[in-house]
Amino acid sequence: MSAHPRRRPSALNRRDFLRKSFGAAVALPSAAAILAACSKPGTTSSGGGGGTTGNGARVLARPDDPVTLPMTQDPIPTDTPIEGGTLNVYNWDAYMYKKVLSAFEDEFGVSVQWTTFNNMEEGIQKLTSGQVEADVFFPTTDYVARLVEAGLLQPLNHELIPNMPANVWPVFNDPGPYYDLGWRYTIPYTIYTTGVAYRRDRLDDADAAAKGYELFFDSLFKDEVSYYDSYRDALGMMLLRDGVMDPNSDDPAAIGKAKDAILEMINANGARLTINGAYAKLPEGEFGIAQSWSGDIVGAKYYLPKGTPEDVLGYWYPPDGKGLVGNDTIVIPSGAKSPRLAHEFLNFFLDEHWGYLNFADWNGYQPPFTSIVPDKLVSDGVVLPTLSSAVVNEKSFTTGYIQGELSADTDALWLDAWNEIQAGG
Amino acid sequence: MASDAGAVTGRPDGKTPKNRSEISYGRWYWPSFTFPGILWLAALFILPFYVVLSVAFGTVDPLFRLPLPVYQPWWWSVDTFRTTFEKFTSGSHIYLDPLTRTLVYVGLASLICLVLGYAVAYYTARYAGRWKWLILVLLISPFWISYLMRIYAWQSLLQPDGYINDALGVFGVAPIIWVGRPITVVLGLVYGYIPFMILPLFGFLDRIDQNLLEAGRDLGASSYQTFRRVTLPLSKPGILAGLVIVSLPMFGDYYTNNLLGSTNTSMYGNLIDSAVGQAGQGPEAGSLVLILIVLVMIPMLYYLRSTRRQTEAA
Repeated sequence: MSAHPRRRPSALNRRDFLRKSFGAAVALPSAAAILAACSKPGTTSSGGGGGTTGNGARVLARPDDPVTLPMTQDPIPTDTPIEGGTLNVYNWDAYMYKKVLSAFEDEFGVSVQWTTFNNMEEGIQKLTSGQVEADVFFPTTDYVARLVEAGLLQPLNHELIPNMPANVWPVFNDPGPYYDLGWRYTIPYTIYTTGVAYRRDRLDDADAAAKGYELFFDSLFKDEVSYYDSYRDALGMMLLRDGVMDPNSDDPAAIGKAKDAILEMINANGARLTINGAYAKLPEGEFGIAQSWSGDIVGAKYYLPKGTPEDVLGYWYPPDGKGLVGNDTIVIPSGAKSPRLAHEFLNFFLDEHWGYLNFADWNGYQPPFTSIVPDKLVSDGVVLPTLSSAVVNEKSFTTGYIQGELSADTDALWLDAWNEIQAGG
Repeated sequence: MASDAGAVTGRPDGKTPKNRSEISYGRWYWPSFTFPGILWLAALFILPFYVVLSVAFGTVDPLFRLPLPVYQPWWWSVDTFRTTFEKFTSGSHIYLDPLTRTLVYVGLASLICLVLGYAVAYYTARYAGRWKWLILVLLISPFWISYLMRIYAWQSLLQPDGYINDALGVFGVAPIIWVGRPITVVLGLVYGYIPFMILPLFGFLDRIDQNLLEAGRDLGASSYQTFRRVTLPLSKPGILAGLVIVSLPMFGDYYTNNLLGSTNTSMYGNLIDSAVGQAGQGPEAGSLVLILIVLVMIPMLYYLRSTRRQTEAA
C-alpha cells in the first residue's frame, strides 16, 4: 500500500466501511469502524463506493454469461521497483512446492512468509479483517467478483506477467476466463476435474466405466466409500448423476434429490465425508472408492504403502467430458505491501520450468500450460498410466460443467440441504 | 489485642504511633485485590461473550455473507435467534438429532468416566502408598502430547487393518469399522476427559480422614458398608466436581466427533462448528452457542447449589 499513498481514499467510503466492519467479526471494532457505523451494519447505503451494491444486483458469472470486472484502481506502473524483504503468501496448506518457493526466494533475494487457510470462508474473513496481510492470495473463482466489488483486489499489470500470454492456454488469455474476461485481476493457478477414484485391485476399468457415479452406491464398496466434505462438490456431482446438468442449480427439487442420494450413500453404503479420503486414505487402503479431484488422485501415489503397486489407482471421469471441471486462481490484494514483487511471484509460477516442477514433483494439480502434452505426462511418469483420464485438457473446459458463484438465496438452499446431511439421518 | 503496647513505649516526637489495627489502608485497599481477577474476567469472558451476543443478534454482510456483529444493543435483532430456537421447539431433526445424541453421549461418557475414574482415584488414594505420586504423574502424562495427535493415533489404531482389529482377529473377530460408530465417539470422549475426573476425585478421596473409616469398621460396619456410608458420601463433592468438569467441555466438543465419528454421530458442537464455517450462518452459530450456554447452565447451577449446601452444612 505504501507504494501508492495517493490512491488511498481520504474519507471512509462504503468499501472501507465494509472492509473494516468485516474485521469486527474476529476482532473488536477499531475506532474507525465504530465511527463508520453511523448506519446500521449490513444495510447497504446507496452512496459511497458506487457501482452495483449488495448481492443480486451483480450479474453472476457463468461460462455462457462471462463478466468483465470493473477497474477499481489502476494497476501498478511497470517501472515500479521490485520490493525487497518479505513476500506474504496466503494460501491453502501444502498447495505449493517448497523447493520452487526457495528458488523464488533465491532469485529475488527475498523471503516468502507462508500463511495458510483451511477453507475459503476463513481465508476471506482473515483477509478482509486485516488479520492476515497478504501480497498474494488464492481465491476460488466464485469469490473473485465479490473480492473486486469490495475493493480488495488490485488489477494486474499485464506487462509484468509476460509468462501469461507466452505459456498459458489461449482460452485463459483471450477472451480470458468467464469470471474475469481479459484477466484483469486473476491468473489461473491449477486446473482440475472432479471424478471418481477407485482401487483397481478391487474393480477393473471396464466395470468402473460402466457404473460411473453409481459406484458410490455399489455394495462392493460398503463402508469403504469416501465422499468430499465440501457442499458444492458433494451436491454438484449428485446433480450430474441425476441428469441435472447444472452444478449451479437453483431448483429445490433437484437439490433435494441430490441430498437424498448422498444420505442414501451414507446410510445404506456407509459412505463417509472426508477431505483426505482420495489422496491419502484410498491409496492406504481404507477406502475402495472416493470422490476425487484429479489432482488428488495424481498426487496419491506418494501415499501408497510400501509394496503396493502403483497401478492400483484408477480414476473415472465421464468420457464425453460432461463432468465437473474447474480452476483455482492467484490474485494480488489491494492492500499488498509488495505489489511489484507479487507480480514477479505470479509470473514465476507461470514459468514453464518452475510451474511444471511445482505440479510434477509436488502438488499433482496441473497448470494450464500449452507446453504440457497429456501423453507426455504419462510417458514421463508424472501421471501414472492408469490415471491418464485425470489429465485435464483444454477441451474439458468447453465440455465440462463449472461451479460458479451462487446467489444468496440459492446458496442458502444448498446449505440447508447440506446441513441436513451433516446432522445425520 | 495488645492495643496499648505503643503508648507505653512512647516516641521522641511525642506522637503515639498507630497500632496495627488502626492502620488505615484506605477504603479501596482490600477490594483492589480483586482487580486482576476482574480484569481477567472482563478481558477473557465478558468481552468475548459480548461479541458472541453481537454476532448472534447481528447480521451478515451482503457480499461475502460473513457474520457482521452489531455492537449497539439498540440495533440487535432477535430474528435469527428466534428462528434457531424455533427449529428446536418445532422438532426439526437437523437440530434435535445432534442435541439428543449430545445428551446421550455426554451422559454415557460422563458415567463411564465416573465409574472408571472412581476406581482409579480410590486405588491411588487408599492403596498406592509410595507409588501414589508416580501414578498421578502417569495420569497427567498424556497431556504432554496434544489431544489431536493422540486422536489421530487412535484413528490409525482403529483402522480396518489397524492394531485393534488385528488384536481382535486373534480371537476370531472379523474386522470392525470403528470410525463413525457412536460407541467409538463415546469412548473417544471418555479417553479425552477422564483425567479431569480422576484428579478432583483423588483430591477428595485423599483427604478423607482414615480415622473415620476405622471408626466405621470399629462400629461393626463391613468394608462395603463403610464405603457406602462413609467414603461415598464424603467423596460426593468430588464426584460432582468431576462430573461438571468433564461434562461441560464435552457438550461443546466437536473435534472428537470430527476425527472419530461420522455425520451419523454428529453432536451439538458440530452444529456450531459447521454454522461458523458456512457463509451466511454466523448469527445462527451465535444463537446455537447461546442456547447451549443456557442448557449447560442447568447442571452448573445444580453443582453450585449443592456445593453451597455442603459448605453451609460443614
